[in-house]
Amino acid sequence: MAVDADVVRLRRGDLNALSGLIARYQNRLYRYLLRIVRQPAEAEDLFQQTWLRVVEKIRSFDASRNFDAWLFTLARNLAIDHLRRTRPQSLDEPLANSWHSETVADRIPCKDHTPLDHALAAERRTEISEAMAGLPMMYREVLTLRFEDEMKIEEIAQVTAVPVPTVKSRLRRSLEQLRYALEARYPGGTWQ
Amino acid sequence: MSEHDKIRELLALAAADALTSAEEKQVAEHVRSCIACSNELGAWRPIASELRRLPTPQPSSGLVQATLARAAAKHTEQAEHDWNRRVMIVVVVFAWLLTIASWPVFQVVSGHFGSLLEPQFSHTQFSHTWISFAAFTALGWLAGGVAAVMLAVRQRGERRLA
Repeated sequence: MAVDADVVRLRRGDLNALSGLIARYQNRLYRYLLRIVRQPAEAEDLFQQTWLRVVEKIRSFDASRNFDAWLFTLARNLAIDHLRRTRPQSLDEPLANSWHSETVADRIPCKDHTPLDHALAAERRTEISEAMAGLPMMYREVLTLRFEDEMKIEEIAQVTAVPVPTVKSRLRRSLEQLRYALEARYPGGTWQ
Repeated sequence: MSEHDKIRELLALAAADALTSAEEKQVAEHVRSCIACSNELGAWRPIASELRRLPTPQPSSGLVQATLARAAAKHTEQAEHDWNRRVMIVVVVFAWLLTIASWPVFQVVSGHFGSLLEPQFSHTQFSHTWISFAAFTALGWLAGGVAAVMLAVRQRGERRLA
C-alpha cells in the first residue's frame, strides 16, 4: 500500500504536512467523533487531541498499515476514554425494548420511490440522524464508519479492534435498531 | 434454521453492501424467487441509502487553525524533550568517563598513586582511598543533579510565561 506523502513528511518531522492531513480528514474525523460523543464542543476538543496524538505517535506508525484506520483508532481510543471519564453509562447504554426484526420488518411496508419521497428526503435524513443519535455508541460507530465514511468491513474491524464477524453482527443489529427506532417514531412506516 | 431464515438475516447486510460475493449471489438467487425477502430487502434499501446521504456536520471555522497551533506547540515541546534527552545521555556518559578518568588523577593528588603499585599496599588503605573517591564523586554528581533540577524548574517557568 502506498503511504501518503504527507504522512511520510510528517514522520520525518515536517509539521507543514500536518495542515494537509488535517484539511483532508477534518470532516470525516469530526463527524466520526461527533457521532460517538454527540456533543459538538466535546467532538472538537477530541478532534484536537487526536491530532496532537498523531504528532506524538507518528514515528511509531507502521507505514505498511492503513493511515485511515490508524487515525480513527487513535480518535476512537480518546473518545472512549473521554466517555469513560465523563459519562460511563453512555458506553453501556441499554438497548431499546426487546423486539424481533421480523416483526418490525413486517410492520414497515416497502414503497416505491416517488417524487414525494425525494421532496421529503431532507426531512427523512433528519429523522434518521436523530434516530441514529439515540442508538448505543457501538452501533452509532459502526453505522457512521460503514455508511458515512464508507469504510470496508475489514477496515472497521481494524478501527474497532474486533473480528470481522463481530463487525457484521454489530452492523446488522445497528440497522435493525435504527429501523425499529424509525418505525417507533412513525408507526406504519410513514417515515419512508 | 431454514435457508429462508438464513437469507433473511443477511438482507440488512446486503443493503449495507457488507456481504461476501458468495453471500451476495446466494441472496440474489433467493430474492428472485421469494417475494417476502424481496420486499424485505426493498425495505432495507432506503434506510441504507439515506444513511449514505446524511449531511456531514461541519466543525467550527477556527478548529483547524487552533489544532495546528496546538500541534505546533506540541511538536516544539516534543523536539525540546528529545533534545534534552539526548543531551542528558551525552552528559551522563561524559560524567562517567570523567569519573573513571579522574581515578588516577585523584590517586596522584592524594599521593597514593605510587603506593597502589607497591605489593604491601593494604586493603585498609585501598578502602580509605576508595571511600574518599566515592565521596568526591557523589558530591560532584549531587552538584550536577541540583544544577539540572534548577535548570528544569527555570525552563518550566519560562514555558509557563510564554
